[in-house]
Amino acid sequence: MAPLQKRALYSLVVGLALALLLITVLVRQGDVTAFHRNPSLRLIMYFVMIGVPISYVLLVSRSLREPTQVDERDKAIIERSGWTPWLATILSLVAWTLALTEAYWDQGQVPVAFLNLILVSALIVGSLAQSLGILLGYWRMNRDG
Amino acid sequence: MGRVKNRIRKLRFDHNEMTQEELANRVGCTRQTIIALEQGKYVPSIELAFRVAKAFNVPLEEVFQHDA
Repeated sequence: MAPLQKRALYSLVVGLALALLLITVLVRQGDVTAFHRNPSLRLIMYFVMIGVPISYVLLVSRSLREPTQVDERDKAIIERSGWTPWLATILSLVAWTLALTEAYWDQGQVPVAFLNLILVSALIVGSLAQSLGILLGYWRMNRDG
Repeated sequence: MGRVKNRIRKLRFDHNEMTQEELANRVGCTRQTIIALEQGKYVPSIELAFRVAKAFNVPLEEVFQHDA
């Protein structure tokens, strides 16, 4: 397994675990208003919002600088998988928009807490899709050449 | 379009049974790329192709052949 492929697999596993953890926390807290009631939950969310993109940028930029870690074949795979985070993020935004519109149409307003949830989910979905795109890229390259 | 074939595996064995890792370190790529090249699943850039040929001290066409 190529170093980048391993990194993508770890990111996928960590990202899925993080997503499941957040969903579990929200479900156990009852609903999205837990965000207002529980300051520590808000802190965790803020940490995820800031920590995920920073650690992602640091990890990717560091690995891209090492020739023994990422070579021209890996870079070709990264380039080919560039569309996956965009598509996944847009699809998640579409899903949020449809769901929130249908759920809160009568009230005419959406709770502010959803802003944070939308951002966190977009970050998580984007990074998961990037990892998945890279893994799919390796799979396709090994299959088709 | 034709296929690009190569003799990397044979050249490795002719060069003191050079390992894939050794070759990868010499040409500056990962071992997985050498594996993909040997299996004909990846066509290298012209730069990498030259580096591979240089690692074996042979002309480029002795390593890579194009099946038109």
